[in-house]
Amino acid sequence: MFKLIGVCLTLTACGYIGLTWARIYEKRPQQLTALEGALQLLETEIIYTATPLQEAMKHVSQRCDPDISELFRNMAAELEKTEGATAGEAWERAADDFYSGTALNQRDLHILKRFGASLGVSDREDQAKHLEMTRSQLRLASTQAETLSRKNSTIFKYMGFLSGLFLVLVLY
Amino acid sequence: MVGNMVKNKCSKETMVSIISRDILPVLPGKIRELLTELPGEALDQIEEIRLRQKKPLLLALTREDTMVTPLGQLTGVPEFSYVVSENDMARAIQLVSGCSIYAFEEEIKNGFITIRGGHRVGISGKAVLDRGRVKTIKNITGLNIRIAREVTGTADRVLPYIIDPVSKEFHHTLIISPPRCGKTTLIRDIIRQLSSGVPAIGFRGCTVGLVDERSEIAGCFNGEPQKDVGIRTDVLDGCPKAEGMMMLIRAMGPQIIATDEIGKQEDAAALEEALNAGIKVLTTAHGADREEIVQRPVLRYIMEQRIFERLIILGRSRGIGTVEDIVNLRDNKSLVR
Repeated sequence: MFKLIGVCLTLTACGYIGLTWARIYEKRPQQLTALEGALQLLETEIIYTATPLQEAMKHVSQRCDPDISELFRNMAAELEKTEGATAGEAWERAADDFYSGTALNQRDLHILKRFGASLGVSDREDQAKHLEMTRSQLRLASTQAETLSRKNSTIFKYMGFLSGLFLVLVLY
Repeated sequence: MVGNMVKNKCSKETMVSIISRDILPVLPGKIRELLTELPGEALDQIEEIRLRQKKPLLLALTREDTMVTPLGQLTGVPEFSYVVSENDMARAIQLVSGCSIYAFEEEIKNGFITIRGGHRVGISGKAVLDRGRVKTIKNITGLNIRIAREVTGTADRVLPYIIDPVSKEFHHTLIISPPRCGKTTLIRDIIRQLSSGVPAIGFRGCTVGLVDERSEIAGCFNGEPQKDVGIRTDVLDGCPKAEGMMMLIRAMGPQIIATDEIGKQEDAAALEEALNAGIKVLTTAHGADREEIVQRPVLRYIMEQRIFERLIILGRSRGIGTVEDIVNLRDNKSLVR
C-alpha cells in the first residue's frame, strides 16, 4: 500500500518537474513576442507623441501584456527616483529586477540591456532606429525560441514522466 | 515699496528650497553634493549655474561669479575649482531632459529647455543643420541653468493706467523695452492680475488667452504653467504667435489675448483678427523708444493702424524694470509725466 503511494508521488513529482521545464520553453517565445509588442507601444509614445520617458513607461506598462509589464513598471519607478541616474542605468536596474521572474535567458537580457544604453539620449529619428533594431533582434530571438520550444517542450514533458517511471522501476 | 520689500524677503527665504526642489534633481550626483555643501547665504544668491565640459563649475551670484572646490567651498582660483567632467555633462543633459531628449527637439532647436519650476536651461554645442536651419544641437558641451525668481507686484504701478477707471475696461497695450529690462516679468504680472482680478481698483478678472511661443511668460513644463499667470488664463505653450492667436480666438473665447515679441508680418494680421473679434490685446516688442520701433515695417504698420491705446516704455534708468513712460496713444500724451 505504502509502496503504491510512493510510486504515485514519485511519478507526479517527476512529471511536474518535466512540465515546468517544458512550460519555460513554451513561455520564452511568448514573452519575447510580448516584449516586441511592448516596444512597438513605446515607439508610438516616443515617435508620435514625444511623451517624456517616465510617462511613456507608465503608459506602456498599463497597455502591454501583463506577463512583462513589470519591466516597464520597474523602469517608471526607477525614473521617478530623483537620484541622478541616467535612463540607461535605470533601465539596467529595471531589467535585472524583472529578469529573475521570467522565462528569458541571458542572451535576451543582453538584448534588452543594450537597448537601454541608447534610450532617451537622442532625437526621435535616432530613437526610432534603435527601437527598430531591438525589435528585430527580439523577433529573431523569438523565432529561434519558437523552434526550440517545439522541439524541447514535448521532450521535457515526456522525459519528466519517463524518468519518474524509471526511478520507480529501479527502486521497486 | 514696503510691500515690495516684504515680497523680496519672502522669495529669498525660499531660495534654498527652490534650489533643492527644482535644481538639485537635474544636476549630476557629484555637483549636487558640492552644492549641498555650500553655505546658505551663497545658495541664496545663485542666479545661474554654468556647466562647461572640462572647465570649472561656475556659479553666477548676484554680484560676481565664483567657482567651487571639490570640497564644496567657494573659490576664485580656477586651479582649485571642481572641473566638470564629460560624464557630468552627459548626465546633466539627460537629467535636464528627464531622460527624454527626443521630447525636447523643438526646445533644443531654440537653444533652451524649461524645467520643472519654470527655470530655463540654456544649451550650447554643435549645431546640426538641415537645409540651412538648425535641426538639433549635438555634442552638448555647455549648460546654463538659470534660476527663475518670481517677482510679483511689478504691474501694480502700471495697472491704473491701462485699465479704464470708469468702465473698468482694459486698453489695448503695447510694452516696449530693450532686452533685459523686465519686459517679460512685467507682462507676466499684468496677465496674472488681469486674470485673477485686481480688487484694489475694482477690476474683476477676465479670461486671458496667452500664446507663449518661447515658454518664457508662463514657463510651462509639460504644458503646465510653472509661473503664476492667474486663474482665468489659458496658455498655448510653444505655439507660433499668429497661429496660436487664431486658435485661441476660435476655440477658447478669450477677452484678452496676450503674447510677447510681435514683429512678423503674420502677427499683424492676427492682431487685426483679434481686434475684429472685439478682443483686447496685450503684447510686447523690442525697442528702446517709439522712434526705434516705428523703423520696423510691421510695427510701423501696427502703430499707423492705431491698434494700441496704451504704450508702456521700460528702461533701466532707475534699475531694471523702470517704467520710463506710459503714453496714451489716442492723443499721444504721456500719462505719467
